[in-house]
Amino acid sequence: MGGVEDDEPPTKRVKASSGELRSLLNYSLLSEPLTGSLGDSMARPLPSQGDEEMVGTKGVIKRVEFVRIITKALYTLGYEKSGALLEQESGIPLHSSVVNLLRQQVLSGNWDESVATLHKIGLSDETVVKSASFLILEQKFFEFLEKDKIMDALMTLRTEIAPLCINTSRVHDLSACIVSPSRRLLLGLSSQDIVSANSRSKLLEKLQKLLPPTVMVPERRLEHLVEQALSVQREACVFHNSLDSALSLYSDHQCGKDQIPSRTLQVLQAHRDEVWYLQFSHNGKYLASSSIDRSAIIWEVNEDGGVSLKHTLTGHQKPVLTVSWSPDDRQLLTCGIEEAIRRWDVSSGECLHIYEKAGVGLISCGWLPDGKRVFSGMTDKSICMWDLDGKELECWKGQRTLKISDMALTNDGKRIITMCRENAILLLDREAKGDRLIEEDQTVTSFSLSRDNKFLLVNLLNQEIHLWSIDGDIKLVSKYKGHKRTRFVIRSCFGGFDQAFIASGSEDSQLIYHHELTNRPQQT
Amino acid sequence: MGRLFVINLEGKIYSRKHCQTHLALYDDIISKSFHCRHGKAYLFRKVVNVSVGEKEDRMMITGMHTVADIFCVGCGSIVGWTYEAAHEKSQKYKEGKFVLERFKVSGPDGSNYWPSREAHISGSDADDA
Repeated sequence: MGGVEDDEPPTKRVKASSGELRSLLNYSLLSEPLTGSLGDSMARPLPSQGDEEMVGTKGVIKRVEFVRIITKALYTLGYEKSGALLEQESGIPLHSSVVNLLRQQVLSGNWDESVATLHKIGLSDETVVKSASFLILEQKFFEFLEKDKIMDALMTLRTEIAPLCINTSRVHDLSACIVSPSRRLLLGLSSQDIVSANSRSKLLEKLQKLLPPTVMVPERRLEHLVEQALSVQREACVFHNSLDSALSLYSDHQCGKDQIPSRTLQVLQAHRDEVWYLQFSHNGKYLASSSIDRSAIIWEVNEDGGVSLKHTLTGHQKPVLTVSWSPDDRQLLTCGIEEAIRRWDVSSGECLHIYEKAGVGLISCGWLPDGKRVFSGMTDKSICMWDLDGKELECWKGQRTLKISDMALTNDGKRIITMCRENAILLLDREAKGDRLIEEDQTVTSFSLSRDNKFLLVNLLNQEIHLWSIDGDIKLVSKYKGHKRTRFVIRSCFGGFDQAFIASGSEDSQLIYHHELTNRPQQT
Repeated sequence: MGRLFVINLEGKIYSRKHCQTHLALYDDIISKSFHCRHGKAYLFRKVVNVSVGEKEDRMMITGMHTVADIFCVGCGSIVGWTYEAAHEKSQKYKEGKFVLERFKVSGPDGSNYWPSREAHISGSDADDA
């Protein structure tokens, strides 16, 4: 039968009808497959598999470890019978009986026996044994205090805990506990905690973390391994552009190329000349385009995903450089090149206001997050802010902006991002708390802010795109290459779920995607 | 086409005669004693708004050089060349610099240059050590 203590209280195992079915004590492997009265309906383990030490095609998974973490997972999932059955059928117990004994002793409060058992486990590291003993004895100490057995507690402290010679500061804390009960609360223990069974199982958990994993299998080990594998798959997925809920265990995750937009769905032909700027509304229901033909067009996205023309906005005397949607998507700003800004109502298409400044041309526009103020960059390099009726509220003079139509405002309205020199981008603090600068070694041609305001994508003259992190310290994160640019303004932007992709146009008529992390360009 | 990316200079500017694209500053002139097929040319330390063509080896007045033609981004016409490499040590100072043909640009005061027949020197380049 093999040395199982007779006074061992029933554990979570199923009581087998025949005594032959007690599992072996140590981890020695079976030389023969288990036979017997597990139940005739059960299939007998195949001889070949029962013998092998390693499982899996690569021969790196040890059978014993594999079965034990599966058993542990079964217990964690609540399938106690299955767990016990697996222990029996495989002959590989989850915990050796010594450890099981320890568990019971801890749970039932047999402190001295449990410390003795601790020494029997055969741990090689003395400090671990001592730390574990410390934890058990500490519990004993607290339980004494709880029951007001002060002398017993004191005895424990003096004769059992202190000689361990570890964690002396804790020992001091414990002695303070004897003197003043309020100290116990400081140590984060309430009386309820001590007495209830909860605290003993918490002690078990602490022991489990302390003891080496071969002795006590860590909680949720199997789940952890599976999650690791999924992370690796997700990171290896080159075109990954789907939600995490799409990850399945049945097959390796691989997003197909079709997860990334790569086919033309619709061609919108309404402008009479080149289109210079496009932007979807924040809610994705509308698209605004602006063109050299001095007009801007608002398109509506239909239910079938197609886009149809809603309004044509005419009135500008010059090519329309850029557009900007109001935070609530009900209004649109358009900016004529070195001319004026017009504010339009999206549903009616009528022009609500024209913003101009005598003697200077306007070249960029944007909204403040409250939707009540607009700002614009001027040809004299200043930035101006107006309220909706056109009253000028603020003006930042000096070299604040260049003739670049890119300007952005962070979602909290605190920083204006603008180009102040050929190769430098200014993060202007509206509350004058301190401006910050991104300096490049090349001329910047355009930039784009991520939706979460944490990243800035900067396009450079030399055909590189730089990704900067602007949350906290300003840092260059990565560089992307692959597109071609010699004469024109090429723009790039963030996209995909979580904005994990960067898409960029190119002078060779291609659309280039980069994955933010893997930095491998995929061309379309 | 597309929206041109143009850098704007400040100061005394040489710009492309026809499309007014800024090309270089007066302060960046290194030498005014260069020549090209159309007469005078200036050597500049730095020019902007040009795209660079293919490299080729060319025999110039002062010797063999590896040069590339430069084109205005605004109108696409050739405005001069840049020295990629000089094959003789005495000419190394030209490397990385740009030559703009005076005929192709308008000067800072708006003045233009018209090549006269007598000034037509065959070949390009010159030395101004």
